[in-house]
Amino acid sequence: MPDPIRVAAVGDVHLADDLRGRYAPLLTDISEEADALLVAGDLTQHGTLEEAEAFADEFDAADVPVLVVLGNHDYHSGAERDIVHLLEDRGVTVLEGTSTTIDTDAGRLGVAGIKGFCLGFVGRCAADFGEPEMKAFTGHGIETAALLREALDGLAAEKPDVTVALSHFAPVDDTLIGEPKEIWPFLGNYRLGEAIDETGVDLAIHGHAHAGREKGLTPVGVPVRNVAQPVIQAAFRVYDVVPRRSA
Amino acid sequence: MNEQQARDLERAIATDPRTNELGIRIQVRGDHLVVSGEVASQERRATVIEVVREHEPGLDIVDHIMLSAEPGPGGPDHEQIEPPRRS
Repeated sequence: MPDPIRVAAVGDVHLADDLRGRYAPLLTDISEEADALLVAGDLTQHGTLEEAEAFADEFDAADVPVLVVLGNHDYHSGAERDIVHLLEDRGVTVLEGTSTTIDTDAGRLGVAGIKGFCLGFVGRCAADFGEPEMKAFTGHGIETAALLREALDGLAAEKPDVTVALSHFAPVDDTLIGEPKEIWPFLGNYRLGEAIDETGVDLAIHGHAHAGREKGLTPVGVPVRNVAQPVIQAAFRVYDVVPRRSA
Repeated sequence: MNEQQARDLERAIATDPRTNELGIRIQVRGDHLVVSGEVASQERRATVIEVVREHEPGLDIVDHIMLSAEPGPGGPDHEQIEPPRRS
């Protein structure tokens, strides 16, 4: 069996000045454990530039590439574009319906990412029907999944050995167990799961569901991991993803 | 405080710029107002309780808020993800 590509991940760190010092000491030397660190959104508590600076300062300690998607909290102050620029200036890769690859000793890691949006799951999801507000809400959920699919399709051309889909919103409801069912449509989006199932993804990582559980599967059987910090209760988890190619 | 007012208070905690905590639950139990959920720091917990007090619920406030476990030192868990064995 080929050596695995080691993917570290955490989400929902909700940084602000009061949490400075919580992550940096635990991310130093992370290269001994992982080839890349993925952060599944809600980098900040209120989406301010000051909080984004705190995130950048803490995660600057990581000595591997840091790849992130934004979460709903990162949009709250309307400063998301400035946050993206600040993070990119600090060397963080922000995925927004885009993808990137990282060449590791064990092969090429491809990551496609998007924040995602609400929608719900089969049988209990928002419908593109009725008022313009409802159509806009539903349409945005559907659009985010389409963008993830495009990013994953584009990534395939790079021939990664391992493909990871990174989002803030959940692509399946397996990992929402523990959350009140009434809010599941606001936590995830089955269309993200469909995009993952149809594009050869090896691992899907998300956050957002603080009271959910870590492990789930898509309908086709792709492993899904909810790495919201309150769920994993650690600075990060590491997934050793074995490439599909034969040994 | 009735059920609707409890939900309004939850929404206030979610939208108050000092808190913006989406995971706080408010329940009325007799003369008690139970505030539960999880936040990341002691400071954020105190602010949530402060916002609840400002709404003068007229009930004894019971703080059942949990603090998220702080990530500790030590080796992280590794989980091996193997490719599917499709025929």
